Amino acid sequence: MAVLTLDGVAKSYRTHLSLHKYWILRDLSFEVREGEIFGFIGTNGAGKTTTIKLVLGLLFPDKGTIRLCGKDPSRPEARRRVGFLPENPYFHDYLTGLEFLDFHARLHGFRQPERRKRVLELLERVGLHNRADRALRLYSKGMLQRIGLAQALLHDPDVVILDEPMSGLDPIGRRDVRDLILELKRRGRTVFFSTHILSDTETICDRVGMLVRGRLAALGSVEELVRGEVGSWEVTLAWPSPQDPPIGQVLSRREDRVLLRVSSQADLHRLVGSLNGGGAKLVAVSPARRSLEELLLKEVRGAGAQADGVVEEGRP
Amino acid sequence: MSGRILAIALNTFREAIRNRILYLLLVFAVALILCAQALSLLTVGSEEKIIKDFGLATIDLFGVLTAVLLGIGLVSREIERRTVYVLLAKPIHRAEFVLGKYAGLVLTLLVNTAIMTLCFVLLLVAKGIAEPAMLLAVLLLFFQFLLITAIAVLFSCLSNPIVSCILTLALYVTGHLLWSFDLLRARVAAPWARALCLTLQRVLPDLAPFDVKGMVVHGIPVPPERLGYALVYLVLYGGAVLGLACAAFQRKEMQ
Amino acid sequence: MSGAVALGAAPAGRARAGASVGPLRFVLAAALCLVLSIAFQAEFGAAGRGTATAPLLYLPSGRYLQIAALGFDELLADALYLWSIQYYSNYDIADRYDYLEHIYRDVITELDPRYLDPYLTGSMIMTTEAQQPEMALRLLDKGIQKNPDQWILPFEAGFTCYQTLHDYTRAARYFDLAQAVPGAPPIVQRFKAEMTRRAGDIRDSLQEWAAIHDAATDEYVRTIAWNHVHDLRVQVDLEDLKQAIALYQDRTGQRPARLGALQTAGILPATPRDPEGRPYLYDPRTGVPSYGGLSILGR
Repeated sequence: MAVLTLDGVAKSYRTHLSLHKYWILRDLSFEVREGEIFGFIGTNGAGKTTTIKLVLGLLFPDKGTIRLCGKDPSRPEARRRVGFLPENPYFHDYLTGLEFLDFHARLHGFRQPERRKRVLELLERVGLHNRADRALRLYSKGMLQRIGLAQALLHDPDVVILDEPMSGLDPIGRRDVRDLILELKRRGRTVFFSTHILSDTETICDRVGMLVRGRLAALGSVEELVRGEVGSWEVTLAWPSPQDPPIGQVLSRREDRVLLRVSSQADLHRLVGSLNGGGAKLVAVSPARRSLEELLLKEVRGAGAQADGVVEEGRP
Repeated sequence: MSGRILAIALNTFREAIRNRILYLLLVFAVALILCAQALSLLTVGSEEKIIKDFGLATIDLFGVLTAVLLGIGLVSREIERRTVYVLLAKPIHRAEFVLGKYAGLVLTLLVNTAIMTLCFVLLLVAKGIAEPAMLLAVLLLFFQFLLITAIAVLFSCLSNPIVSCILTLALYVTGHLLWSFDLLRARVAAPWARALCLTLQRVLPDLAPFDVKGMVVHGIPVPPERLGYALVYLVLYGGAVLGLACAAFQRKEMQ
Repeated sequence: MSGAVALGAAPAGRARAGASVGPLRFVLAAALCLVLSIAFQAEFGAAGRGTATAPLLYLPSGRYLQIAALGFDELLADALYLWSIQYYSNYDIADRYDYLEHIYRDVITELDPRYLDPYLTGSMIMTTEAQQPEMALRLLDKGIQKNPDQWILPFEAGFTCYQTLHDYTRAARYFDLAQAVPGAPPIVQRFKAEMTRRAGDIRDSLQEWAAIHDAATDEYVRTIAWNHVHDLRVQVDLEDLKQAIALYQDRTGQRPARLGALQTAGILPATPRDPEGRPYLYDPRTGVPSYGGLSILGR
């Protein structure tokens, strides 16, 4: 069952005085299924935030349809079971943490004493119960992120939409967010989040959508996308000679250690075979599976080559 | 639904009273009202008139300034600061947002006007010249603030604060000069020009009904129809303005 | 609009569940409110007026208003003047003259003392409509003081004295002021001469008319002047004769037998003749000299 469906969505942006339209998204179609963790990845400026805004009814698509929880996002009913955390949270900074959550709880229709209970619960859950009386203006970035999550989860939503939830956080913070997302899935919730940190997505996402220059370049599970093959190897050698080894691409050198990338099995065999005498020794070999990062880079390069020949819509 | 509007209203009120500009204006207003006392010493003859004139004019001026300055940034500032994203992602209607902000501003203006009026009344009582008609004049001025701020909110939904400020103040000025369209209509010959004058006179907001300062100061009784008229006009015209504001905001893109 | 696209593209059954919320309902509500408010205003507008433009009456004096005008004094004067005309053309307002002087003398002309129209129109309203000629003269006096280079203001004042107050001495003084201003048209001088006559100073009047006659460049003016000079000459001569006869009577105790006796007695240096050159008539029984001809201007 799809909680979010995009069908042929296109969005353009027209700078103030010019007639020239700039297409941010073109023909975007995908769906997010109930109970899955969907990662939305892409380079900065690819259109991820725009997509999220379209999904929430903050922007309106030029073409195509969007259904959030089965309804058009501009209807409040569509957002009733949805929680949202924007990138770089912008909140009314004159409010204290408590006032902020209380305000949002009212917007969801919570009445006393339920409201107070929920607010305190969430504050506890994100670890801000000690700082609830301080104005948001005085919160650190990490604290703002946490209060933002609290606000998104206040009404125990079925669908949680997060825009770059890990950006700007230290590794501990990132891990906390990761754990939270996994916990949500465990409780049967759906999570849709965007990020440009690909290592996070590989570990937790069920499915991934890759946005490159406004188009969906790839869609599927991480496994499907980074199918099977070992792409290359990373070889560490003890190499006393100042010259580079004959086979492989040098990634780094340190004292008498060299880290190489060898791109085929044949090359690997030849390299190992050539290590006779001269003090050269094999220290370590590890297969480097093709990663999402490589896939993204490949897609971006491919899209870049294409874009040069493409005439942007709107121009006569 | 009203719960959400109320929540936004209270939040807007909270924001307004933490806004330093409000205090600045208020302090200024109170100072000026008290100045009326000093000014009255300069006059030969009735000081009572000077104090009443000055006090009412100060409340009028600062009320309008507050209504405009707070109104023009009401929506545009939220959009600019991006605090609006997380709010509109909640299950609320966009119209609830606009009306909630307006209600919060009404509350702010109420408190503001009440404080200024209190100072004014205290001064009048101290001089022994207080009368209930003064409160009537302030009430009608308050209605005027409500109408002006609705206009400011409309522009706030459409444009940036500077443009909003200019346009709102322009409508404030024309609102007090609509009588000149009568003059113009009598002078122009072409029927299309006359129709245009009449149309403008009817469509532009008319602020004259809210001004009974002169009458009150000179002891001329204000007929109850005047109050009724002002209230009904406020509701109808204000309703139209807020309706347009909701319409404008309904399809506004949150870039 | 994508809302419309969504409605059109989606199958009919799902349309309502999916459709986006458009602004139409608000536009309609707004339009309805606006129409109602216009209708309301048209129907009940009077209730909202009351002594409609009354507030502007309670203006502080122009001196204080100058502060509020923030340098736009002249513009404000213009606006107030325009308003005042409309206000005073509205005959429905019963007590509209209560602040007439305040508005013109203390406000509009304080803001822009060199603006002539308010003096002229204001004084006209004061004289003709409010029946307050003295008020008009006060206003014009101020105008004269602030605008010594404008002949029209003292002229207007003189005319008011002449036509409304019938105070010819005062009128003459004003016309004198007016004709001294460079650029004043010749008629001002003629007015002055005539007012002088009506005030009773026939000798001065004669002198002025004579001066006008001598300085006249066109036939029309010369003829008018001559007519006045003629009649005044007769009047002055008869005056002189009467005075001489009285003096003679005081001295001798009886009336002179003929006019020539006045010269013989040394009272008159010469016996005056009328403008046609003829001697004046004299009736020794009554002692009253008279003119043998006809007065041109019928006085």
